[in-house]
Amino acid sequence: MSVALALPGNAAQVRPHSVRRARHLLPWLLLSPLLLLLAAFTYWPLLHTIYLSVVDVRLFQPDRFVGLANYVGLFRSPSFAAASWNTLIYIALSLPLKVLLPIPIAVFVWCAGARMAALHRSILFVPTLLSFVVVSILWIWMLNPVMGMVQSGLRPLGLQMPALLSDAATAIYAIIGISAWKVIGFNALLYLAGLASIPRELIESMRLDGATDWRITRSLLLPLLSPTIYFVAITSVLFTVQQVFTPINIMTGGGPSNATTNLFYLAYEMAFESFNIGFASATALLLFVGLGALAALKAWLLGRRVHYA
Amino acid sequence: MRETTALTLTPPWRAVGTIVLFLSSLSILVPLLLVIATSLKTPIEIHDGLPWPQSPTGDNYLAVFDKIPLGLYFWNSTATTLLRVGGQLVVALLAAYAFARFEFRGRDLLFALTLGAMMLPHSLTFLPTYLMISWLGWFDTWWGLIVPNLAAPVGVFLLRQHMLAFPRDLLDAASIDGAGPWRALWLVILPNIQPALAAIAILLFIDCWNEYFWPLVITESEDAMTVQIGIRRFLDAERGDDLGPLMAGVVLVSLPAMAVFLWFQRRILETFVSAGLKG
Repeated sequence: MSVALALPGNAAQVRPHSVRRARHLLPWLLLSPLLLLLAAFTYWPLLHTIYLSVVDVRLFQPDRFVGLANYVGLFRSPSFAAASWNTLIYIALSLPLKVLLPIPIAVFVWCAGARMAALHRSILFVPTLLSFVVVSILWIWMLNPVMGMVQSGLRPLGLQMPALLSDAATAIYAIIGISAWKVIGFNALLYLAGLASIPRELIESMRLDGATDWRITRSLLLPLLSPTIYFVAITSVLFTVQQVFTPINIMTGGGPSNATTNLFYLAYEMAFESFNIGFASATALLLFVGLGALAALKAWLLGRRVHYA
Repeated sequence: MRETTALTLTPPWRAVGTIVLFLSSLSILVPLLLVIATSLKTPIEIHDGLPWPQSPTGDNYLAVFDKIPLGLYFWNSTATTLLRVGGQLVVALLAAYAFARFEFRGRDLLFALTLGAMMLPHSLTFLPTYLMISWLGWFDTWWGLIVPNLAAPVGVFLLRQHMLAFPRDLLDAASIDGAGPWRALWLVILPNIQPALAAIAILLFIDCWNEYFWPLVITESEDAMTVQIGIRRFLDAERGDDLGPLMAGVVLVSLPAMAVFLWFQRRILETFVSAGLKG
């Protein structure tokens, strides 16, 4: 097994200080808790999900193999179609908001004086410390069309706050905006760390050659930042769907009329509300395969333009 | 984060930058200040729509404990978080030691599987894990909250990095003095990676304290419900009619993570950023 799957380039690597043979069991002893836990709660569930997606689980009877029937059933269900479409919207809109918008913020913090930069860094980090439950409650209250804080601000102007969260046309955008509010600051800090590692000599020599700020940004900063951009983009694709679970669950419950549900939320509802284990497992697997494909596609598209510092 | 020569922005760009930063900081701070202000208001003041309370009161902070068993939720959250983080650190420390300091067959494959677990979303594994926890009789218990999460690949990864960067001379010296691998771990490595260990502990603490999905799935009573689930239940029950106590609850629930952050500010920022973890 290890021969077939070992990572290239590492197999023949030998440490100069390898420990004596008598202790060859020790590393396994040290690793055993981690390996048992990963086997029981990560890799076994992964295999079990595959199994559950091709059987019909029945009470007090053995499971019945149904082949791809669960998948066929899914493709015929309107809620699956809605959830798939919404999943794409969540991901597509998250990319500009969560991946691109933090870049200028990071550059401006980087350019600010030391004191201001420290202040802004701390403030930008605050939404990361809050739980998504707290953030959801906060925004439910802010956006409430009758007694919300935004409404109190609009009333003197004679304006009426629209009911963003209970309108099928706007609810998903409200949730995307809120989940962006939660992570923009953190992503800006990631970019800031990337900027801080750019050698100052490069910037200074470009400036001596008469380059403008814009030119330095375009030809030096962005290329050197591209591994970070790449990292943020991939994690945004992989985790956005999971991350919006909390606001969906608390703010809209997937509605109105499936307008905000996504594939993860659908899998949760199928498992714990309609108790359809086969459908839930098939949904989770399809989501995973889809995300993997998207991440790979993105890696391929971006990978051609990433410059490693 | 070390200082580097940044750009020398032209005045119009400097103005744009100041405005962008001012607005983004404001968009974060204003909602939070409004929450704190509302938690200090009397019921009458809440409905008059003014942003700041005229006569601040702490009544909401007492009322929230009457409305929901917040004390019990805090007990569950605190105990399970501390036990889980402690367990995660021990498991990760031992594994990182094995990965960083020993040669054995299959090491690179196992490390790849550990990193792979970091990329596998909850969405893929929650159902079988839930079935297993129920089968073990751990539904709605602390066990169900703690045990399935004891492996923290992020912790393994970061601790391994720190151990690889550890100066070899020190270990050699210890080994010449007759220290075995356990003594080397306990007496040489551990004291020297304490800052990293503390930072990872804080990161795991905040992650666990703020968790919503798993406690939602695995708890149903006050025996195991955490603060996040509790405050969410309160929101449902009151439907916004009891805004003062709700906001007081929101503030209380957020305090532990905030306090930890203020204490260890710099260190946390750097660790979070290097772990690339999302809250």
